[in-house]
Amino acid sequence: MNKPVISFFPEASFGSALNCVGIAQKLQRQGAVPVFLCHQGFTGVFNEYGFKEYQLPATRKADNQRSEESWQAFINAHLEHFNQDPTAQIESYVGPTWNAIVDTAIQAEQGLESLLKRIKPDAIVLDNVIMFPAIANAGVPWIRVVSCAETEIPDPNVPPYLSGLAAGDPARSAFEKAYLEVTAPIHARYNRFRAKRGLEPLPPGQFLETSPWLNLLLAPRSVRRERAEALPEDSFVFLEGCVREEAQFDPPPLPVNEGPIIYLSFGSLGAIDTDLIGRMIDVFATFPARFYVNVGGFLESYQRVPNNVYLGSWFPQPSIVAQSDLFIHHGGNNSFCEALYYGVPSICMPYCWDGHDNGLRTAETGIGIHLKRDSWTPDQLREAMASLLQDHEMRERLQRISRDMVAADGSAKAADEILRVIPAS
Amino acid sequence: MKTRSNTRQNHLKLARQIVEIVLERGLTRGDHLPETTLSEACGVSRTPIRSALKILESNDIVQRRDEGGYFLNQSPEQVGIDGVTQLDEMEGSLAARILSDRAERRIADVQSVSALVRRYDAPRSAVLNALKILSADGVVAQLPGRAWAFQPLLDTPNAIAESFAFRLGLEPQAILAPGFDMDNQKSGLLRQQMEEFLQRSDGNMSSVAFLHLDCAFHSLIAESSGNRFIRGALLAHQRLRLTTQKDHSIPDFRLRQSLEEHLDILDSLERMQHQLAADQMVLHLRRSQIRKPQAANRGLLPLARKGMA
Repeated sequence: MNKPVISFFPEASFGSALNCVGIAQKLQRQGAVPVFLCHQGFTGVFNEYGFKEYQLPATRKADNQRSEESWQAFINAHLEHFNQDPTAQIESYVGPTWNAIVDTAIQAEQGLESLLKRIKPDAIVLDNVIMFPAIANAGVPWIRVVSCAETEIPDPNVPPYLSGLAAGDPARSAFEKAYLEVTAPIHARYNRFRAKRGLEPLPPGQFLETSPWLNLLLAPRSVRRERAEALPEDSFVFLEGCVREEAQFDPPPLPVNEGPIIYLSFGSLGAIDTDLIGRMIDVFATFPARFYVNVGGFLESYQRVPNNVYLGSWFPQPSIVAQSDLFIHHGGNNSFCEALYYGVPSICMPYCWDGHDNGLRTAETGIGIHLKRDSWTPDQLREAMASLLQDHEMRERLQRISRDMVAADGSAKAADEILRVIPAS
Repeated sequence: MKTRSNTRQNHLKLARQIVEIVLERGLTRGDHLPETTLSEACGVSRTPIRSALKILESNDIVQRRDEGGYFLNQSPEQVGIDGVTQLDEMEGSLAARILSDRAERRIADVQSVSALVRRYDAPRSAVLNALKILSADGVVAQLPGRAWAFQPLLDTPNAIAESFAFRLGLEPQAILAPGFDMDNQKSGLLRQQMEEFLQRSDGNMSSVAFLHLDCAFHSLIAESSGNRFIRGALLAHQRLRLTTQKDHSIPDFRLRQSLEEHLDILDSLERMQHQLAADQMVLHLRRSQIRKPQAANRGLLPLARKGMA
């Protein structure tokens, strides 16, 4: 049999892109040929890990300046929404974001279809939140990776997606109603697009169907919920996390080089809130620990960095998390799972999307502290860090979770399952 | 006018000269180092010799005895390796700390000597000496008045992108300029170090160790160039990279690929295929130039990157 070609199509975010890298590394070792379909601007990322890339052709003229303008516009428009609660964000953030996602799917369709005809993959791995019809129509098995929180797959016992609510919260129905109202026109537009491309419409609020072949979920057992309707075991596989192999990170020595290591990353988007990170750094200066802070592309916004703090524009996250005693993050699902994978307690400070769901789950399952971004005081932040560093019972529990997750080897399991659904030629 | 930092540097130089005399004359541990002999050998009076001996004493290289005078306190092998390194560090350690604090944005880009004296709790002469070392590398410049200004460092993604553009312009030219001459012993040693690094398993390839090897390779290319100006500019730039570049983002695959590209370039240079080596250098730098994109979140296209060809 020829080596099977597996096309990965992650969404344009680091979380899902690097999650797919983890699976592709294992597939490659098993003799498959993973290739990546990538959005403009991700060119080179997968190549650096040794994978062939195919860039989606640009459908509109998107020069550098235009992209920079949209980025700045995005920051200006949305930064103030980051402190809103999830219900208020439905209108201010979630609706506009779904609109943009639908635009992306429509714009990518033609280029994606012709690329898939050229590559002729044996299977396609889609790590996204929306279906691109060219994938469903490619005539080969497609695999859905749910790299968001488990809430992405609805169930009466699971809180509504992006709500940050508990499953039985009385506010549930009001949230669901508001969500459906705001997304209705966007959803109708998406369903019309699907119809044109020969796909069945999806139920209200849904933008991506489950795969009839295989669905891979990251959510580890320790944070999973008891579902009212069990997911069919033959097509739903839980990976117990999925962590890529990454370059070794040697924490640079700091002028004050003592104490536990605390890593802070709010993801590439969260780094735009330089005021918040700046206020946190002021507190870090007063706390006996070494802090490594991911400030994304905004290093130039910081001056007079304290002697126990190091700022970087990028860290090979698995490696630094593995060496950390505490991880402060935004509840992005990769960060959430990596903290568990390495047995590190979290302070979760979400600002949007499934970060809210993971923030709540952090508190519910006792794996860390859920802290609101805008209402903490320096004393509360110090207290949160000190209590997690001293909580030996939590650390032992996290170590057990970590051992189970490492033993489960989620990315290898994903690779096995993907190869299983490829028809023998 | 002679400043205190000048004097300090001169004493350090003398201390090094004394070390050389010790090695040349085959002195051994316990041998007497008479001030008069040293003063004649170095062509200076006994006062600076005494200061230089004090520096050596503070590093345990010599010992002052009650019976009078200074005696060698280490074996010649120790003096040759550890002693020289200690003196280098004495000269460079404060400079390195200042540079690293600037690269990590702990201190502002304009500094007064008094502020640095307070921050590092060091004598004014030591701070001036450190600034002098940094200014020789083009890292700081004295402003009119008493302040010193840091020059751009490789501390942000934009600065790194500009560094690549600069190197893409100059490094192939360093190879192509008439008179390129590489030290075979150095290239052989470097080749061996890179091959050893390639033997490491994934996950054990330290990014800091890689940066050292990478800078050593590109510095070798620079110093082999037949064009003195290209040589000077690139060597200074590589020193700046080594001390200030912050980039821990390179996956193991690219680290390996990058080292293999270095070895290919060395192969071509050893075969005197300079044009091919220059082309390989362009390819190597372009591949390394591909930066992590600044990605937007769900549904938004990531920001197109700067510095892409």
